This record gives sequence, C-alpha cells and structure tokens, in this order.
Amino acid sequence: MTLDSNKVRLVMSDPVQLQSEPEAVKIPPFISTPVDHIPVIRATLKNAFKTGRTKSIQFRRQQLLSLAYLIKDNFHLFQQALASDLGRSHHETTILELGSTLTEVMTAYHNVAKWSKPEKARWSLNYFAMNPTIRKEPKGVVLIISPFNYPLWVSLGPFAGAIAAGNACTLKPSELTPAFSALLAELFPKYLDPDLYTVINGAIPEATKLLEFQWDHILFTGGSRIASIVLTAAAKTLSPVSTELGGKSPAVIDPNCDLKLTARRLVWGKVANAGQTCIAPDYALVPKSIVDQFVQACKDVLSDFYPEGAESSDSFARIVSPSHFNRIKGLLDRTEGEIVYGGGMNSQTKFIEPTIVTGVKGNDSLMGEEIFGPILPVIEVENVDEAIDFINARDHPLSLYVFSSNRAFKDKVAENTQSGAVVMNDTLTHCVAEGLPFGGIGPSGSGYHTGKYSFDMFTHLRSTLDNPTFLERLLWARYPPYNEQKAKSFMLLTLPSMPARTAAGGYAGSKRWGPLLIASVVAVSSFVLLIGRPRLVRA
Amino acid sequence: MPELKYNSAAEIDDAYETLQATFRAGTTRPLSWRKHQLNQVVLLLRENLDAIVQSFAGDLGKPRVEVITGEVGPIVRRTIQSVALLDEWASDERVAAPDWQQSWSPTVLKRPKGVVLVISPWNFPVFLTFQPLIGAIAAGCPAVLKLSEIGPGVSTLLADLLPKYLDRSAYRVINGGVPEVTHLLRLKWDHITYTGNGTVGRIVAKAAAEHLTPITLELGGKSPVLIDPNTTNLKIVAKRVLWGKSRNAGQICVAPDYVLIPRAAQDAFVEAIKEAAAELRLDDALASTDSYGSIVSEGHYRRLRNLMTTSSGTIVVGGNTNEERRRIAPTVYRDVKEGDSLLEGEIFGPLLPIVPVDDVRQAIEYIDAHPRPLVLYAFTEDPEVKQALRDETRSGGLHFNDVLSQAGVDQLPFAGVGESGYGNLTLKYTYDEFTYLRGSVDIPLTLEPNLSTRYPPYTPAVIEALAIKSGAVQAPTAAATASA
Repeated sequence: MTLDSNKVRLVMSDPVQLQSEPEAVKIPPFISTPVDHIPVIRATLKNAFKTGRTKSIQFRRQQLLSLAYLIKDNFHLFQQALASDLGRSHHETTILELGSTLTEVMTAYHNVAKWSKPEKARWSLNYFAMNPTIRKEPKGVVLIISPFNYPLWVSLGPFAGAIAAGNACTLKPSELTPAFSALLAELFPKYLDPDLYTVINGAIPEATKLLEFQWDHILFTGGSRIASIVLTAAAKTLSPVSTELGGKSPAVIDPNCDLKLTARRLVWGKVANAGQTCIAPDYALVPKSIVDQFVQACKDVLSDFYPEGAESSDSFARIVSPSHFNRIKGLLDRTEGEIVYGGGMNSQTKFIEPTIVTGVKGNDSLMGEEIFGPILPVIEVENVDEAIDFINARDHPLSLYVFSSNRAFKDKVAENTQSGAVVMNDTLTHCVAEGLPFGGIGPSGSGYHTGKYSFDMFTHLRSTLDNPTFLERLLWARYPPYNEQKAKSFMLLTLPSMPARTAAGGYAGSKRWGPLLIASVVAVSSFVLLIGRPRLVRA
Repeated sequence: MPELKYNSAAEIDDAYETLQATFRAGTTRPLSWRKHQLNQVVLLLRENLDAIVQSFAGDLGKPRVEVITGEVGPIVRRTIQSVALLDEWASDERVAAPDWQQSWSPTVLKRPKGVVLVISPWNFPVFLTFQPLIGAIAAGCPAVLKLSEIGPGVSTLLADLLPKYLDRSAYRVINGGVPEVTHLLRLKWDHITYTGNGTVGRIVAKAAAEHLTPITLELGGKSPVLIDPNTTNLKIVAKRVLWGKSRNAGQICVAPDYVLIPRAAQDAFVEAIKEAAAELRLDDALASTDSYGSIVSEGHYRRLRNLMTTSSGTIVVGGNTNEERRRIAPTVYRDVKEGDSLLEGEIFGPLLPIVPVDDVRQAIEYIDAHPRPLVLYAFTEDPEVKQALRDETRSGGLHFNDVLSQAGVDQLPFAGVGESGYGNLTLKYTYDEFTYLRGSVDIPLTLEPNLSTRYPPYTPAVIEALAIKSGAVQAPTAAATASA
C-alpha cells in the first residue's frame, strides 16, 4: 500500500491536547549523561544494530508510529518545557513545531517501505545479465546533534529519517533547553527501543566525548563555529557529516511590492521565536525610495501583533540564555544605525523587544554575525543590482527572501545569487513545503533533510552485481595475454564512433549520439558474442 | 622518466582567483557551454590515445589494452552519456506537493556548488581524474585538478593537453607534492573530491573542516574475496580472482586483496590457481609489455618486496621479481594466518594471500570484525550465503561471482563506507556531488486569508482553528496494522 503525500496530511480525530494539564506529569530535572557512560551507550547501539532487527520494515514502522505518539501524547509537556526554556507561548510551539514534526514522522511511516526498496540499475546490454542492483542499507550507528531553537522539528524530524533508514541513532539535544532535553530523555525509553534509540544529554564535555568516536553519519545543526569543531573531530574518524548551519538570510524588497503584505510576512518571520530561527529574515535590503513607507508598514504590523506591546503579550518568546541575551544586546549597543522602533530590553526575563534599526551600513555591528534575535536592520540600496552585489559579497545564506510581484525582478535576484533556498513573498514557510530539500550551501551548510532527504542522508547505496558463471565464455577477451584481436574487440566496444568536428567548431549531427551509441554497442556486442561462440555449460 | 614540473604558489593562487571570477561571471552556467567542454574531453582522449599509452611507460607500464578498457574507454563512454543526459539531470523539478501547498510552486532548482578541487591518485590517473572532472563540468563547477606526482608521465601529459582542449578560465591542472597540496587545501573550495588513502583522507577532511567545505572521499582498504567451495566452480573462480589481482599489477582500490576459503578446499583451490596461472601466462609477467605492468615507483616496489620477505605464507605460484623494471610476478600464498604481514594494510600489489578458515560462517565473522572494505567479493551460488552477506556485513559494494567488473557498470554508484570513504560517484551521482539543491517557493499574495491564523496575537479562535489544521495523528486500525 502506498500513500501519496495528500493522504499523509493529518486528520482530526482524537485531537492533541493544546492546553496544559493541571495535574501534568512533572518534567524531570536536566541530568548530563556521565561521560564514561557514553562509550557504553555507543557499544549498546552497535550491538543492537548488529542483531539486525532494524532490517524489518515492520519494526521500523512500529518505532516510527511510537515516535509519533511520543510527540502527540506528551505535547502539553513539550509546550510547558519550551515555555520554561524559551519563554515561548504554548500556541507558538503548536504553530511552529507540532504539525511540521508530526508530518515528518508520519511521512517516514507511510513511505519507508517504498524508500527502502532496492533499485534496479537502468538496463544496459553489457550488464543486464549480472542483475546490477542498488541496495538501500542503513549506514549503521548515527549521531544527531541539535540546537535550542526548534528542538522538536530539528531533532525528531531527522530522527525519523534515521529510524526509517534502519539505523541505530543517538540524539544529543541542546543543554540550553534543559527542560525539553530532560523530557526527551525521560520519554524515549517509554516509547522507543532503548538499545537502538537513545538521548545523550550534556554540554561540551559530553559532546566532545561523543565526537571522539566514529559514527556512520553525523547530522549537526547549529552555528558555524561549532560546526568546524565537529567537522575537525569527524575528520579523525572519517565520519561523514551533514551540517545545517545558518548565516544572515537577506530579504530583498522590490519598490513596487505590496508593502503592507510584505511587512506583515517579513516581520512575522522576524518575531517568530523572537528571531531565533536559522531561516529568519536577518536583514532587509530596501530601496531608498520607499524606506520610510517600509518602516512605517513594519511598525503598523508590530502594533497589530502586540496591541499592548510585546513584553506583555503572551505571544512573544524570550531569548534562550543570558549569554545570548548579552550577545544580542551588544550588537544593538554598538550599532551606528538609528533605532526607530523598539530597543527595549529586560535582562531578568531575557526579553528583547522587536526592534527596527535604519541607516545600517555593511560594516555595522548588526551585520557582523547572524543576529538570531528580534532586531531588523534596514539597509538602504539604490536598486536591485546593489542589493545583489551586497548579498554576493557575503557568505551564501541559508535562505534568500524576495518580496516582489514582478517576474523579472524575482528571476534576476534568484539567478544572480546562491542560497540554500529562495523564497518569494514570504518567510519561513519553505521549511514545511513537503518534498523540498532543506539545506544550505557554503557556510550555511551541506546536506539536506526533511522527508525522503532525511532517509537518504542516513542510507548507504550499496551496489551489487551477480555475475553468473556461464558468462565465462563471453569474457574471453578480457584475459591476458592480450593480442591485437582482443584489443580490437575492446576498441569497438568502448570507443564508439563520434561525429566529426566541423570547421565552425560544432559537431556534425551531434544530436544523434545517443541512438548512435546504442546502435554501435548492440552491433559490437553481437559481434563479440558471435566470435566468442559461447558454450552455456560449466567448464 | 620525464621531470614533472611543479606549479608555484603564485600559479596556484592565480588558478584559484581566475576560476572564482569565471564562476561569478556565469560562464559555466549554460548547458550548451558545458556540453561543449564535455565533448572536448572526449576529443582530448580520443585524439591522444597513443600519447596517453606512452605516458605510462616510465612508471606503471600499463598495457595498451588496460589503458583502453580501464582508463580511456569508460571515460569516453561516460562523457558521451553525460552529454546525452545533462538536460535531464539539470532540469528543475517541480515537487508533487499536497493540495494546500500546490499554489506555492515548490520547485527544486539544480545549481552548481561553485569552484571545486579534485585530487587524484597515480593508479588510474586518467579514469580517477576525469570521472570527477566530467561530473564537475556537467554540474557547472570550475575545477582545479591536482594530479599525482608519483606518476609523472601522465601528469605531465595531462598538464600539457588539458589547456589545449578545455577552457583555461574554468579548468586548471596543478602539479606538485606535499607543499603544493597543502597550499591548495588552505584555500576555500565549494567541494573537494579526494581519491587515495585514509591517512591523507583525514588530512583533507581536516582542512575542509576549516572552511566547512563538503567533501567526497574515495579511499581503500582490504577488499576480501570469500569463496564458498560447495557451490562454485573453483577453476573459474581461480581464473577470475587471479585476473583481478594481476590487472594493473594489483594497484587498484577495488582489487581482490585477500581470499578467505574453508581449509578443506584450500588444496583444490591451489590446484585451480596453478592451472589459471598457466592459462594467463603469469610467468610472462616480468617481461611482457602488452599484458602486464609494473609497480609504480621504487618506494612501492620496496614496500611490496618487504611484504614478500616478511610473510609466513607459502608461495604456490609466482614469487619472481625484477628490480630494474620494478616487476613482481603475480604471486599467490597459501596458509596465511592472522597477523601475517600480508594482512596488515591494503596490499596494493600483485600478491594474493589465501587465508584458510573453518567454514563460510567463520569467513563472514572475520570480514565483519575488520574495517569496512570498499568492496566485498563472494563466489557462491548459495542463496543463504548471499543473503547472510547482504544482511550481516557492510561494505561499499557487494559483488558476487566476479571481481572488478562492477567498475564498468555506468549505472551503479561507486562509494565507500566507514574507513573506505563516503560520497557517491559515477555519472549522475558525480553530478549530484557537485550540485546543490536549492529549494524554491513562491507564495501568492492572495493566500493571505489562509495564513491569518499564524500571526499573533493568538486568540482562542485561532487556537481552535490550529487544532484542526496541525493536530492529530490518526492511529491505523488494527486491520491496517496487521497488513502493514
């Protein structure tokens, strides 16, 4: 039974609890996994993988469904945990992480059989008798290291891919979300096979220990500085790594765009999770001619979002930690731009108000690193060419946002830049577009996840051939001693005739090479078969 | 032996800067431009076949037939296929999205990563340079090719030929040794492909980590040959294995490295080996120029001679060497035990140890207890043995009843696992290594009413609407679970 993606969409029955339960099971305290347990856990994973029980598609489906229920049954606890860790409202957690994460798990659940089927290689005359096949095998024992900001989606989405691909997997979630990470560690053994799927908690010492070992794949989501450390450690053990990093994702504004709608969609991307989103619109490149209207439109949107102000709203998150709070505060303190909206802060509650800064230049403090906070620098540009040059002078971003209704404008920006994704007229939504790979380029990362891409990341393509003995007679020409006759037959087989070069620098009839190649291979193979006089009996 | 001319630091920097500018200028973007460069690769190889064969004379002495079948032929074939398939590979893919996302036009755009570095080895210097190169060309990535200094004949020739056929502003050869490769690795590349050994593979990975550069590592290891004597024809096995070991004088990353066979069948297999050796005229190996080759360098020759003198196995065929021509006759050892010098590292030479084991099961355990090989060969017709190998071992590739032939199958991805490396090559797989997938959506303005629930302030009505949209998992019914 196969399901197309329309049917994967979740159905309303037995709705998820969206309000917290007064008598809720308590969220356990955060406990780091003792460093000397880590090798033991890894050995357990390896041994469990060796038993071969993850080969069964039924087993994988059962585990995936359990993972889905882990999320669904305990969603109110996750909301509480993230409210405590990130000051994020329950509603925001629902909007940002519930549907998206469950969709990842259920997509894997519905497609694992299809995805894991071995692929027959495309038919070829020379090799079809050897049954060339590409097997989809689990890489083995894999590691996922995830960050604080979208802990459900970024951890459990790829985790579902690892399960679907048949791996044993350990997850190291962030110590900056202690309630969330402790909750995961508590719930995992209640729902999932504890020898195959584990949570290891901790900070630098525990992560360092993990990275001393060889892993069959590592997925690291986070910042580029730590990514470099992870990659350097992985180099020693030849562990393959995928990275989902960040960077400064620009928003390019067309002077003729619908400003109200643009401001609404752009500002939403900036204030969700208080700007702590790897694909948040980091800064805006705005034509000089409309800067004032743009800023006003953004202010209007913020008033709509937070009629009583962001601090007293229950719909606005907080900065994850004092050190990140101080980091962002520092960026704002040192800016040479003008703060035209917001700027309010509260270090006790780690509150930073949605803030708009105009007149920002390329070398401003706000442009020196990914902001990862609710501050929007507005960079004035003369025209779209200047915007494009500005983007290209910097590292390739994870996302690039273009606000325009003009096809030519959109194409010009898209075709003259590089970015993990390019999104027209919105922010953030592309990460839930089913079937699109989520990944970066250059310093914004390498590798992709979501949907089948997660499965592929954790899968090894193992090629296999099965050469029957009876073909021996046909292989005569490959054995030494080599002579002219053998050489000629191979020349014909492997060097098909080619159209000649023309004086004009083109090629005569160059469009017909495909059929020409096939024809020559068929002709030669028949010739070889003929002179080989195959005897279809064992020697 | 021609003197290999090393490039200077200034030349390396110039190559890098030029290629960066070429990429930024968009020169490599049009598919027709890329196809032209690919056609030029075919012409380069076709028009200079004799010179290429000649260029091996000073080191590997690779026989003409092996150059055609193992180096030039497969590349020509794959390049022609790349031209034919490029439109398909490069076309943007519209995603089959669920109903509510259809209006977003979700599309996967295929785009070149940027300027890439290809580091290739000496053993198949044409094939292992051009296989990544044609993928880079197809993907639209300018490329620097760092060729091996250990095979100076071919590296000199390619340094001369490439600029005559390919656009110099996009493709450059750099020759040199350790200092030159170190300089290259300090630069920021958009992808690096390295083919070689695990030690240098780690160095490449470490350098790439500084710049967060994605890499492809095609490494090696000891590729075992498991023989199940009950269900196979030992005469044919012996011939195929001996043939596989003697090609390129055993200097192939997917060469059959060592044999595991139940001890009860070792005598019969050794007899078969002797017959096969006569049929393949292995005693000509020291002198022949058409059918056998040399060890690439004095250093490697000495390494292999050392393995021969320190092994405790018993020679059953071969054993002769010719130091002047750096020739070692394909040599087979029996009764090789664990701990033998021949079982330490990848042999990469024409020495074949036979390791007797109790039975097939013990052979499988032995394989699983050792680093994961690039390829695992098994000669058996027993479906249970085949399935056990599929399920209980891990290797880059798994091939039954032959050696080496998988390398000619264009449609199969070539990749290692664990110590044998990571990243897939061959045709579209190579193209994919050098391409990044850029997701794209275009959200209509008219969708705004549908998006209204995502904006703060979050009110009870909004929450109600969201409970419907993003909420529940429907548990499959008992019947559905039973049939899953």
